[in-house]
Amino acid sequence: MVKQRNALYEGMYILSATLSDDSRKKAFDKITDGITQKGGKIQKIHELGRRKLAYEINGKREGYYYVLFFDAPTSAINELWKEYPLHEDLIRFLTTRRETVQESLEFKPLKQQV
Amino acid sequence: MQQNFQTKKGPSTQAQQMSSMAPPDSPFSKRRKTCPFVAAKIDDIDYKDIETLKQFITERGKILPRRITGVSYFYQKVLKKAIKRARHMALLPFVAEE
Repeated sequence: MVKQRNALYEGMYILSATLSDDSRKKAFDKITDGITQKGGKIQKIHELGRRKLAYEINGKREGYYYVLFFDAPTSAINELWKEYPLHEDLIRFLTTRRETVQESLEFKPLKQQV
Repeated sequence: MQQNFQTKKGPSTQAQQMSSMAPPDSPFSKRRKTCPFVAAKIDDIDYKDIETLKQFITERGKILPRRITGVSYFYQKVLKKAIKRARHMALLPFVAEE
């Protein structure tokens, strides 16, 4: 038996901005349910809101951004990646390994050295 | 005619100011740039931090070379990854239009 390992992940998701609030919430629940069903646990949800995309994706110019921090077994991520492209309202996704949960998404500016 | 003369004079005076700003003792020695990430003691460059990433790309969206920005070898690799992740998530453009 291979022992299950859990790891902390960060996922960024862009949902279609043309959806109504209810249907967007439904689409987002589908993502969170997918994680919890695979034995994951959601730690933190950041809602970045509506943003203009830097380039057009499938005819869409705007997207609704979410950032999730979740614990999940390492094997679950592979399965999630297979599911996400089938998700219609999900424009883009990115999951990365993280060491710590970011409580706020504000960043300090670099000091300008002369 | 006078106006033309004045506009022509504009850039030349700027150039004079620039030359006066250079160190007078050694005109050929360039000051070594320090890495802004080492100076700020940042351990990780986040792909969501667009404001800092924007400082290291051109107007067209290309990644600036290390010789211009002065970023260290290590942080340039971290920065590269962060910019490419940001591009994938449509936070930064691959090619910016004018």
